[in-house]
Amino acid sequence: MITPSTSAQVLEAALSTGGDFAEIFLEDTDVTALTMIDGKMDEAISGRDHGAGVRVLKGTDSVYVYTNDTSPAGLLRTARQAAAALDGKSPVVCPRVGSHIHRVENHHPIVIPPATVALARKAEAVRAGYYAAKEFDPCISQSTCSYTDRTQRVVIVNSLGTMVEDVRTRIRYAVSAVASQGSETQTGTDAPGWKRGFEAIEALDPAQVGRNAARVAVTMLRADYCPAGRMPVAIENGFGGVLFHEACGHSLEATSVAKGHSVFCGKLGQRIASDIVTAIDDGTMVNAWGSNNIDDEGNPTQRTVLIENGILKNYLVDTLGGRRMGMAPNGCSRRQSYAFAPTSRMSNTYIAAGSDENEEIIATMGDGLYCAKMGGGSVNPITGEFNFAVQEGYLVKDGKIDKPVRGATLIGKGSEVLLTIDRVGRDMRTGQGMCGSLSGSIPTDVGQPLIRISAMTVGGRKKGE
Amino acid sequence: MDFEAFVERLFAKAAEAGLEDYEVYYSEGESFQVSVFAGEVDSYKVSSRAGLSFRGLFQGSMGMSYTEVLDEEAAAMLVDRARENAQVLKGQDLQFLYAGEDARYAKPVLFSQALEEVTAEEKIKAALAMEKAALAMEDVRSVSHCAVHTGRGEVRLVNSKGLNLREQENTLVAYIEAVVERDGDTVDGLAYVMGRDFAALDPQKLAEEAVHSARDKLGASSVPSGAMPIVLDREVMADLLATFAGMFSAENAQKGLSRLAGREGEVIAASCVTLTDDPLLPEGLASSSFDAQGVPAYTKAIIQDGKLMTLLHNLETAAKAGVQTTGNAARPGYKGKVTVAPSNLCLRPGSAPVSALLEAAGDGLLITEVSGLHAGANGVTGDFSLTARGFAIEGGRRGRPVDQITVAGNFYDLLRDICQVGNDMRMTMSGVGTPSVRVESLMVAGE
Repeated sequence: MITPSTSAQVLEAALSTGGDFAEIFLEDTDVTALTMIDGKMDEAISGRDHGAGVRVLKGTDSVYVYTNDTSPAGLLRTARQAAAALDGKSPVVCPRVGSHIHRVENHHPIVIPPATVALARKAEAVRAGYYAAKEFDPCISQSTCSYTDRTQRVVIVNSLGTMVEDVRTRIRYAVSAVASQGSETQTGTDAPGWKRGFEAIEALDPAQVGRNAARVAVTMLRADYCPAGRMPVAIENGFGGVLFHEACGHSLEATSVAKGHSVFCGKLGQRIASDIVTAIDDGTMVNAWGSNNIDDEGNPTQRTVLIENGILKNYLVDTLGGRRMGMAPNGCSRRQSYAFAPTSRMSNTYIAAGSDENEEIIATMGDGLYCAKMGGGSVNPITGEFNFAVQEGYLVKDGKIDKPVRGATLIGKGSEVLLTIDRVGRDMRTGQGMCGSLSGSIPTDVGQPLIRISAMTVGGRKKGE
Repeated sequence: MDFEAFVERLFAKAAEAGLEDYEVYYSEGESFQVSVFAGEVDSYKVSSRAGLSFRGLFQGSMGMSYTEVLDEEAAAMLVDRARENAQVLKGQDLQFLYAGEDARYAKPVLFSQALEEVTAEEKIKAALAMEKAALAMEDVRSVSHCAVHTGRGEVRLVNSKGLNLREQENTLVAYIEAVVERDGDTVDGLAYVMGRDFAALDPQKLAEEAVHSARDKLGASSVPSGAMPIVLDREVMADLLATFAGMFSAENAQKGLSRLAGREGEVIAASCVTLTDDPLLPEGLASSSFDAQGVPAYTKAIIQDGKLMTLLHNLETAAKAGVQTTGNAARPGYKGKVTVAPSNLCLRPGSAPVSALLEAAGDGLLITEVSGLHAGANGVTGDFSLTARGFAIEGGRRGRPVDQITVAGNFYDLLRDICQVGNDMRMTMSGVGTPSVRVESLMVAGE
């Protein structure tokens, strides 16, 4: 996509007004998306995203300019626009540019590139999930199944000599189901994803994904509203890890730590969670949805221990955040596309397996809420306040899982909830999501074993007893 | 290749490939954003972007493809992929491309030359002035976000039926979020301005608004759980309306994803509720003289005095329902398919000031912020359960700040339970304009 000599010219132009670091990010992405709803294939879109972004840093000032015009002239123009934002009259550093672009080693095997698979085969997989959900139960009134594959080719060149190329292939397969009876409606979803080729779909039972989504919708249709109030809460593994992602993970990103906005600022080495909590961000997990060979600054991804036995060990640091914090970047700088400057983000983030037995966790919780499946959530990084939707919840009565309840949300503050985790189970699993923040929407895994929080505020539509 | 040359090439290839009709939707534009932090430019972002979406009718199905590169290879790719996609879409509802022979288009003013002439230096100066003004105020710990954003965009729609439309717009958005700290309590407050008038960006005023809004929240605590009278601030009502706007889409209704299917002519909301879709609003973020299929856009009531007047349609949903399109075809940029969406949703204001709403509520809660809309609100069922902040309403007046609560309900029920509409209408950043409203009761979870 770019030659070493063009790179040198572009970086030189970018640094011509006193910037101390310049970077070019080029992207060419092929996308295929299929959606079936209402018994018909409703959407079939193929596209090609193509563009480049030039970033210039001067100390902690950052300039980002992007364009679709990736011709040498277009890139030079973009670099000059970026340089114009800085007020220096002459360059202070010279770019170091290598002689060739290094193709990074791939740690995430792709057996069947999606481009080699006929559209009809992809459509067949979509039909399977759609009908499995639709035919699960007579009260399923609608279902949607979608398939998206995305192959992103990137070249990242910077003035410190980085000159790398990588290809990222990801597939997401999602089913959502609507259950209706009279005027009552409930929904359920299941949406696995991988950094892998079409073999992920071949190895999948698409009908199982459809049934998972439908089962939640039907269960919730027959559920009563969740009572509101404070109670013990047990959260199941897999997508339950969204709790840690929202309540804590975002507040450990340099984006919020570097400017002093996070509740976890200045707490390295201090206790921020109960001593049974160890949490990890691991961008290297093989074929996982949130993994990468290199981050979007061209650095190898890492396995970073964030919290060890309750003690804060590390933040997630990108180059710019690291300059503010006086810390080295640790391979976590990510962006949705060339249209975003990269920043510190999570990859696959989870609470590590503990030593408690699942049966004991429920049996000793008295009356509370068991969250079998979590929905999404959000957090205010300044106050640490978060909220999550519970997609599939059950009341626990006297240590036994009782009837299903709908419409529950969990709210609290990240800094408090981590300290009140009193059980961590043994069976860690991950779930897939899209995470939105400053540098756009990116694929991330969340994960944990079954955990229990001694007391938290549950929002619902019924007054608690 | 320039746009005209590319379209000519593309249409020639489409005809060769046996596509029956075809269309190009092209959007291009530039944007500028400057953020400041601690008295310095913290981030400076400039972009120029263009993308082209191609739709082609093949054996009755409409295939789609898009590209961000306009070259010979892209033209071939667009036609091949659209044709391939059309083949897996067999059995689609009847598809249309609009000829627009007798169409008349309104001419809303969506572009300001004066805004284009504002220099980068002036925008940076305004952002720095906003932050400085906020930092000079008592209790302000920092300014977490302070940015000025401007954008210009043009959309072109050309099809094989002779339609050839273009429209240009530009916008200005400036916002500041101040962080206030007192006695170990940290809260934030936001203020913003949007439109096309750079003179409306008053740094001092915005800074004060953000800081005051933050300070008001200091010392907040929860309330006991229970159902209680609620006043929803206009920002909150706008967030909810934006989140649940899909219920008015005929496409959703036809797919069983809206409970308003077949309810036209019925009372679905309180009599004080009149909701319009106004694509011609000069200050609207979603204003346009034509929709994503080139159909003239016009203003219509969706709910009139509580009665559902119409759902929103594009050409396909209208044909299926046997009605005329309402000009609400929408597409999420050039990468997405044609769907249905409101333009600027506006809830008609009443005559009562917010103070009268509080007085009528007596004892309850004024909700000024909700979060978690993407997770805690279900667009299909209408159920929501959201983290909220606000103020206690005590004896008909705004009292102490409240946080650590959730407010839960169902939006379909909420439309019926609105008992009073305020007079404080504003177009918000969510693209919806509403005043504050008073609701009989919602469930609040707190202590």
